[in-house]
Amino acid sequence: MSYTELTVWTRGIIMDKEGRDIVNSVAAAGRLEGKFAQAMENYVDNPDRTNAPTRKYCRLSESAIENELTYENEQPNIVVLVEQTMVKGWDYMRGMPPGGTLVINTHYTPEYMIRFVPGAERLAQMVCVDAAHIAHHKWLYYRLGELGLDRLSTEGAAERSTAIAPDIAAPLIAAVVKSTGIVKIESIEPMIANKTAFRAALDQLHVMPLGQAVA
Amino acid sequence: MTTALAQKKKVRINGCVASAQAAKYADVDVITAYPIRPYTATMIALAQMVANGELDAEYIVADSEHSQLSIAHGASSSGARVFTGSSGVGVQFAYELYSPISGTRMPVQMMIADRTLDPPGDFGSEHTDALSTRDMGWLMGWACDAQEAFDNHLLGYRIGEDRRVLLPQMVCQDGFFVSHITTDVELPDTGQVREFLPDYKHPYPLDPRRPVSHGPQIMPEQGPPLQLERARAMEGAVPVIEQAHEEFARIFGRRYDPWIEEYMTGDAEVVFFLQGAHGVTARYAIQHMRQRGAKVGLVRLKTIRPYPTDRVKDVLGRFAVVGVIETNLGLGSVSSGGVLYAEACAALYESAQRPLVVSFMAGMGGEAIVLKEFYWMTQKMLEAKKRGKIEKRTHWVGFED
Repeated sequence: MSYTELTVWTRGIIMDKEGRDIVNSVAAAGRLEGKFAQAMENYVDNPDRTNAPTRKYCRLSESAIENELTYENEQPNIVVLVEQTMVKGWDYMRGMPPGGTLVINTHYTPEYMIRFVPGAERLAQMVCVDAAHIAHHKWLYYRLGELGLDRLSTEGAAERSTAIAPDIAAPLIAAVVKSTGIVKIESIEPMIANKTAFRAALDQLHVMPLGQAVA
Repeated sequence: MTTALAQKKKVRINGCVASAQAAKYADVDVITAYPIRPYTATMIALAQMVANGELDAEYIVADSEHSQLSIAHGASSSGARVFTGSSGVGVQFAYELYSPISGTRMPVQMMIADRTLDPPGDFGSEHTDALSTRDMGWLMGWACDAQEAFDNHLLGYRIGEDRRVLLPQMVCQDGFFVSHITTDVELPDTGQVREFLPDYKHPYPLDPRRPVSHGPQIMPEQGPPLQLERARAMEGAVPVIEQAHEEFARIFGRRYDPWIEEYMTGDAEVVFFLQGAHGVTARYAIQHMRQRGAKVGLVRLKTIRPYPTDRVKDVLGRFAVVGVIETNLGLGSVSSGGVLYAEACAALYESAQRPLVVSFMAGMGGEAIVLKEFYWMTQKMLEAKKRGKIEKRTHWVGFED
């Protein structure tokens, strides 16, 4: 793939940093591999509100990214849903060219989830990963600081925790990287805070191959 | 005041954070803040730096932009290095303060991340917010990416605080296009910054031990010399700006022309003339148009105050057609479009070779100007060249065939 778009759909405040960590780490790994890379948030989804859908974008390219200043990923090759109920109600498949990959954080199987996916015929594969379970995600008050929840982090300007992917983002990054090869595992792994969850997820993906060849 | 030491390093940050980093490297003494997107991200980043002890500065959150700039003015009068910023209508609400700050010759630095005014009031970038203050005696220019934004902040302090200048600076960047896209930025070694930007010392700070007056009530006959002084400071900034860019290149290894960036203009017949981030897409469009045989180039204005009149005259005079991409609103102006057109034409008036000049209203509301719009504008310029005459002064891109 000479030009790849990755779009992450997440929930404002509670999973915002984790969504951002996915695009930022993939872009940073792409840079390490000598690619042109860009990461950004959807400009009008911010400032985020608790639970509101927010989108994060990453673009990787072998050549200069000429659409650098456009606001949205118009043709996402890879879409990630950080929270499973987002599978209904939003057209996250819009613009996906044939051969795409959909990654969902869910304890359900791809065979169950696929019925909710609009335009699934464009997919080459659907990947389910139980990121919350693998990362031992628990909403405990005293853990909020180490989890993704961060009310200061809107706009991506200041984050209390400088750790990248301390929680559910780690298995999701593993799912994206292993199923698509967008960047190499060895380029991205050193950045990930929760390496245990990252490595565990590599062996716990539920991958459902579909009609299209991977683009 | 001290700042945590840092070695030269590459980081991945957006334009807003690059501005906050620049304020940290400049070791500012006072930060005055009031939130408005997209500037908010800069304010948040600075708050965190102060909270973490990375930056030792007074951080004052005002009750409005008017107070924010008033506090900045007061702090600067006491001899502090001051950093502030705003966007869109926030820039407008502080308008009263722009003339007093330059009139008392206080080198306050203000980061502007452009946002449309109301209407449409969306988060996107139009340059009208800052450009509407362009004649208030502030040094002003636009960056096209986060690295240039970072560099412009250091350059701004160095130029504005020079005793031959002593003027405030608006360091502008496009909202979203620069402010909210994460890219590579090289942060310098603090030793380099100290060499480039010495400690700030205002010659006449407010100090009870050495009483001076700033901005007292005066008689009408005292007005003209005061205004002449301020005009001379702006003119006097020209050599200081050039020297500062030379020093910057020597110390940091990045060389910028302080006034104008030219891209593929060597044999160009028609050129775009613009400010800010759209220059990035313009370069790609030019590469493609040239493959199709169009001799098109880009002239990017880097500093609009002081206006590089002679440079603009000499540079733009080399081409057959100039297409001004405004990204600002000048309702009822000379071209009935934006405000860049009139000054480009005025600079060219003394030229023996005057190109055809046409104004393009593009990127309004902060819309990205996409490649095919650059192709369309190139076509309009090539047609004007062939015809020897412009079709009309102002085209609204996207509303015409």
